[in-house]
Amino acid sequence: MSAVRITNGKVLDPANGEAATLRDVVVVDGRVAAADAAPANAETIDAKGGIVMAGAIDIHSHIAGGKSNISRLLMSEEQRAIREPKGEFCGCGGGLSTMTAHATGCRYAEMGYTAVFEPAMVASNARHMHAEMADIPFLDTGGYLVLGNDDKLLDFIATGASQQEVNDYVAWMLAATKTMAIKIVNPGGINAFKFNQRKLDLDEQNERYGVTPRKVLQTLVKAVKELGLAHPIHLHGCNLGVPGNEQTTLDTIAAAEGLPLHLTHVQFHSYGTEGDRKFSSGAAKIAEAVNKNPNITVDVGQVMFGQTVTASADLMSQYRNRGIATPKRWLGMDMEMDAACGIVPFEYKDKNFVNALQWAIGLELFLLIEDPWRVFLTTDHPNGGPFTTYPHLIKLLMDRSFREEQFARLNKAARKASNLLEIKREYTLEEIAIVTRAAPAKILGLTDRGHLGAGAVGDVVVYREDKDREAMFQKADYVLKDGRVIVKDGEIVDLVYGRTHQVAPDYDKSMDSKMDRWFDEAMGYKAKTFRLSDDEIRGGRGTVRHQTVRAS
Amino acid sequence: MTDQASGGVTHEDVVCPFCGLGCDDATLKVSGEAVEAGEGVCGRAAALFRRGPEPAPSARVNGRDVPLDVAVSAAAELLAGARSPAYAGLGADVDGVRAILKLAAKTGGSVDHYASPGLYKNLASSQRKGWIATTFAEVRNRCDLFVVVGPDPSKAFHQLYSRVTPKTGRFLTGPRKVVFVGGEPTAEAKAQLDGSTVETIPVPDSGLVDAMSRLQALVAGQAPVAGAPDLAPLAEALKSAKYAVLAWSASSLGDDGDLVVERAVSVVDALNVSTRAACLPLSGKDNLTGAYHVSLWTTGFPLRLGFRDGVSEHDQSAYSTEAALEDADILVWTSAFRPEKPPSSDAQIIAIAHPGTEFEREPDVFIPVGQPGLDHAGLVFRADSVVGLPLKKYRDAGLKSVAEVVTGIAEAQP
Repeated sequence: MSAVRITNGKVLDPANGEAATLRDVVVVDGRVAAADAAPANAETIDAKGGIVMAGAIDIHSHIAGGKSNISRLLMSEEQRAIREPKGEFCGCGGGLSTMTAHATGCRYAEMGYTAVFEPAMVASNARHMHAEMADIPFLDTGGYLVLGNDDKLLDFIATGASQQEVNDYVAWMLAATKTMAIKIVNPGGINAFKFNQRKLDLDEQNERYGVTPRKVLQTLVKAVKELGLAHPIHLHGCNLGVPGNEQTTLDTIAAAEGLPLHLTHVQFHSYGTEGDRKFSSGAAKIAEAVNKNPNITVDVGQVMFGQTVTASADLMSQYRNRGIATPKRWLGMDMEMDAACGIVPFEYKDKNFVNALQWAIGLELFLLIEDPWRVFLTTDHPNGGPFTTYPHLIKLLMDRSFREEQFARLNKAARKASNLLEIKREYTLEEIAIVTRAAPAKILGLTDRGHLGAGAVGDVVVYREDKDREAMFQKADYVLKDGRVIVKDGEIVDLVYGRTHQVAPDYDKSMDSKMDRWFDEAMGYKAKTFRLSDDEIRGGRGTVRHQTVRAS
Repeated sequence: MTDQASGGVTHEDVVCPFCGLGCDDATLKVSGEAVEAGEGVCGRAAALFRRGPEPAPSARVNGRDVPLDVAVSAAAELLAGARSPAYAGLGADVDGVRAILKLAAKTGGSVDHYASPGLYKNLASSQRKGWIATTFAEVRNRCDLFVVVGPDPSKAFHQLYSRVTPKTGRFLTGPRKVVFVGGEPTAEAKAQLDGSTVETIPVPDSGLVDAMSRLQALVAGQAPVAGAPDLAPLAEALKSAKYAVLAWSASSLGDDGDLVVERAVSVVDALNVSTRAACLPLSGKDNLTGAYHVSLWTTGFPLRLGFRDGVSEHDQSAYSTEAALEDADILVWTSAFRPEKPPSSDAQIIAIAHPGTEFEREPDVFIPVGQPGLDHAGLVFRADSVVGLPLKKYRDAGLKSVAEVVTGIAEAQP
């Protein structure tokens, strides 16, 4: 039996209604246990002056796969400038917006994150992504399967397939790629770009299939509901980054018709067209719609100033953005009748009107959306900025005077265009615990994560209480992964690996032969080659398979 | 898998790991240690899969047969005293490459793949400027005009046209057009292209850069530059194609291959302003693509790595195998897919290699290893960079994988 007792800390566990309760947290054999479950000789961690929270969860961070490698390739200056020093537990990686797999695990763990989910697993690239994610230490991971631009699904919809058949297809694809949720990126738009359409609004038809983004969205929202996946459709909507897309976003919320829908990096989808420059904040309208529609959750995709790289499956949008690449290089790729990717390096500047307003729009969204259980802290790493900026972002949310100081540095026209100074709200520590732990666990259906009740995984973090919230969240005093101390005084002290989360809802086995035929005819290789086997995930060890309504 | 009267076993739908096309309809007949390739295997792969009935050779140290653990210890000892090891070959699956990078981080030294020269001709464009690329299934279904730039890549990618540009495609409305610029299709290529319209545009020797420059000017609507051959008809065809693809195998391009690639990328760039087009840069053999990916996610750099004090750096010239061997005292050669000879040098040699390798000079340590996709399971990447190929085990000849051997050497390090 291994046991750890964390004593003298204030436990902040909103999922269980604990707001800074002085109690011991006991982890026995990798799980949180009752206070009296630990033997007297258990390892004791004195957390005096510390806040104890569950391991943080990042619901949306691009941490692996072909697009990450292309980003590393394009950002060679960053790679040369930032090298990870040799250490007993560290590899030889580096980077910031384009960290290596090893560095990704280290930097997240030091901040108290123990689960990070890859939100854009393109099916044809799934094998690569899983292999790479297995090399990220410390973190539990999982992928959201990108659907909605795959020719097979559009063909099903265009030829009038039943919802049942679509559900079977979705379940088949989830099983084949070992993924845990469904992501849609620019529904049908990436596909339309392959047929040379340059934009696709919510009710505009893909010329080849005659299918609209609304139809794609509604079909997959229904599939998720009927298959009983915990996580709603994770949607990167139409018209990313386009001024005026606030209306698309409002229409998209309405299109969900009350069913659960997660809008990701909603900051990039909250733009109006007011003012001299025809670019304005739509945050108030979007926040109001989110507040009114309890079926909607969002993550923000906050923009943080500095050099980063934008990596997206949305080649239609990235092609549009290629001209603003900094440095001047970008790479796009159409992928396997499946999706695409576009990688555009970019530097967000506080003196640039658009970038400054993007920054303000993100914060307005965070502060105007009332229910912290329905908003999650993300920068859409690396697209809005690297995840290492989270402590700074937390300080912006918690400390109004700091926020106003930062605001004062912005481009003057952007300041005039933003209502940020009128918003007095400051996030509480408890709200930070919700948006980084309890709420992401809830929306992903991870019942044993994001809290510190008995039975939860033994991922526990101790932060030293500090009025400077950026300093507080930068480096944790202690981080436990499955009950093992992996970070002490902000430094990595052990090397452990997490698990991969997936779902496998049942499907009608007639889909097997349909997919065999599709692969033979259209894809040019065999469906059985495409399908990942269990032993390809972390060498057959370390899979967590979650229950779904249509259980396998 | 079926039992044969002869006592052998026939395995169907075997994934071929060699060139990177990812054919997965190969048949292997395995009888004891012996292997014969059957249907679905191109001639080149059949030769590489073939094994005789004789048992695998023993490991050797200084030419003498030794048990595996003795060879592993000898390798570890040599590396412990090494001043500047060069890790070369790198013909290994993803796990093998992972293990080599870990060992190199420990011992220091350079890392490169033996088929990488073509990769850097591509990176000169993709890394510095970027491009719009595509993958096999997109080409198969969408590409109505397939332009082969330079020598016919099917010399290296045997079944290229039957797999990537077959007669029919889902979105094609007529026969596919295939144009060879500065190259000549082989007879076999022509047979594979039956049903497509094939055209050849000869280009004078070393005139490919010039031809592609003129093509770029034409498609971009710039003032045409006079020259032969006349590329105006091709430019018009490209502009009116729905999804044109420019394909090349950089390793078969000449010394100015980086410039050819750069011009081809510019052609695609110009086309995409009004229609759709993409590049298909075919990458190298023996999991070069996989090694490139593992290198990027592990170190942030695309191979040609130098490790010092556990920190890696990247230099395309200094850490090429050729340059590294000028200074290396030990060459650690890995080649699990084929009996590729290590390059000549004055360095001592640790060869973690195909059992059939014939050496010019007996290595100081020789450890025979199994082939991924025959002797053990593994992961390699397809030549279009996106798709990973799962390889299986089909026989047990007592051969360890590169990953097992290299991890053993790393663990035996003092």
